[in-house]
Amino acid sequence: MRYRNATAYRFLTPYLLIFAIFWIWPIISSFLISFQATRTVPWRFAPTFNWGRLIGDPAFFNALKNTLLILVIQVPVMISLAIVMAVLLNSPLLKARGLYRFAFFAPVVVGEVAYSAVFRLMFSLDFGIVNKLLNSVGLPKIDWFSNVTPAMALIMIAVTWRWAGYNAIIILAGLQSIPDDVYEAATLDRVSKVKQFFHITLPLLKPVIVFCAVLSIIGTMQLFTEPFLITERGGPGGGTETLGLLLYRQGFRSLNFGYASAVAYTMAGLAIAITLVQLWLTREPK
Amino acid sequence: MAAVTLTNVVKRFGTFEVVHGANLDIADGEFVVFVGPSGCGKSTLLRMVAGLEDISGGEIAIGGKVVNDVEPADRGIAMVFQSYALYPHMTVEQNLSFGLRMNGNPKADTERRVKRAAEILCIDELMQRRPKQLSGGQRQRVAIGRAIVREPQVFLFDEPLSNLDAELRVQMRVEISRLHKELGVTMIYVTHDQTEAMTLADRIVVLKAGNVEQIGAPLDLYDDPTNRFVAGFIGSPKMNFIAAKVVETSNSAAVVELVNHGGARLRKPLCEAFPTVGTEVMLGVRPEHFFEAGEGDCDIPVKADVAEHLGSVSYVYADAGPEELIIEREARRQRASSDHFTVSIKAERSLLFDRTGARIR
Repeated sequence: MRYRNATAYRFLTPYLLIFAIFWIWPIISSFLISFQATRTVPWRFAPTFNWGRLIGDPAFFNALKNTLLILVIQVPVMISLAIVMAVLLNSPLLKARGLYRFAFFAPVVVGEVAYSAVFRLMFSLDFGIVNKLLNSVGLPKIDWFSNVTPAMALIMIAVTWRWAGYNAIIILAGLQSIPDDVYEAATLDRVSKVKQFFHITLPLLKPVIVFCAVLSIIGTMQLFTEPFLITERGGPGGGTETLGLLLYRQGFRSLNFGYASAVAYTMAGLAIAITLVQLWLTREPK
Repeated sequence: MAAVTLTNVVKRFGTFEVVHGANLDIADGEFVVFVGPSGCGKSTLLRMVAGLEDISGGEIAIGGKVVNDVEPADRGIAMVFQSYALYPHMTVEQNLSFGLRMNGNPKADTERRVKRAAEILCIDELMQRRPKQLSGGQRQRVAIGRAIVREPQVFLFDEPLSNLDAELRVQMRVEISRLHKELGVTMIYVTHDQTEAMTLADRIVVLKAGNVEQIGAPLDLYDDPTNRFVAGFIGSPKMNFIAAKVVETSNSAAVVELVNHGGARLRKPLCEAFPTVGTEVMLGVRPEHFFEAGEGDCDIPVKADVAEHLGSVSYVYADAGPEELIIEREARRQRASSDHFTVSIKAERSLLFDRTGARIR
């Protein structure tokens, strides 16, 4: 190693040490733990113990089903909503644009516990404003927390509320990078605003939308806060339990770190696989 | 094909007026160039013709029809943008046909128009490429092709060559000129480059700070500018302006003294205005209108500071008192024996301007 490089590495050493101890080692360690039976002390090496259980565990498949359901429904809805919000924010007709931008972004900076508590109140069966509104338009009350379908819907609404604005701001940055004269050329070509949106805006936003989708997929695969706080640990009866919640339950309630590690690696593997498939499907033609 | 008429056209952004009542008649098939420094309103004027900017006052007519409230797509115009404005995600072929496809134009006709544009611009080989796979010149050709497929009555060019290197600019200039001859349609071209204006235009419109300073054929503007701004803007290197004072006047001429050149005097024949004695004026002399000592009507000694040798001619930047003069000289291969030399000005090859910059004829 050249002297000049050695000096640089000496400066980097503190960071690299911390990185190795708190990032690299847990990754390796959890992978190794996933091959150990950890339900009883002492832990013992049993390669198929956790991974074998995973394949036949109904709780795992329930959590996987719930997570994928949220992924398939909530992510496209949220991204679509974010695109619409970004287009509205980008409109020259909009007044007080800065205020709207802040308002859309604000949910991200609100504490998770606070927003979950507010959502629980808003969707409460007897006192919630949502049910009152439903009643006022002649619709029956919905028990959001006792039935699986409304509870899943509630999780999706909450996650969408929290992250749509965040994605809208990212998409807005992409929108603002599209030069005006491309639209002017299309206007001279007699292309309507709607066609401009579908034939120019959306294709040019594709990289940004893919980026947002990848972030959302990773986020959804790790979804924990909303089912933990809003629907009370994945209730009703595990109806909203996600992989993140299963991991928590196994690791920190049952202290079964081996199985929790196997779930964690499955989550990461699925997130990577889904992301790769999506990147492949949306790749740029050569 | 169509004539374009601008009558008292005004543009305001809020309370700030950027175009102050432009009047212009562009004949059918004419190639008119708007030229002027940055911020003079030339692009704004073009965009008003295109319909991309609203008109704050006055009237624009294309083909005899007032188009103030007509949508850009219905004005019969096509525009080539400075940044090309190609659709980055589409191939060249898709770029050319996009507008026609979106409007349900028959497929056969779309193909015919695209093929014709490709042939005219020699871009047949590039049809399946995307803009990022093209050079600057090729992109510009595609942008022009996209305008051609619309088969417009009027072509509008907004500084289309300013992103190209010098060599390509000359090449594209020739191609645009050829295209005008081939298509025979009206073209309005915006540039800040007076060389482009001189080489392309049938007529040039010189703009300054939102005002039309002069309209005329390139050589008319060069030979007979209406004011100091036009005289200085048209021509490269630019015209020299020498401070002078009227010391004698008669019914047919004024004698001016070049105040920074040891009292050298020049008798300038005039036919319209006769400034009074003592009036401060400016004598305009183009670099190529300095002659050898004794050949003109007034000799002034100068000292060469820097010389640019272009091969056929040299431009000498000379100190002449507090003024710097640019003098075109026949290129000499041998080094001059002295930095000091004398040049001569001919009265008929010089122009007189008053203090406000207006021409004194």
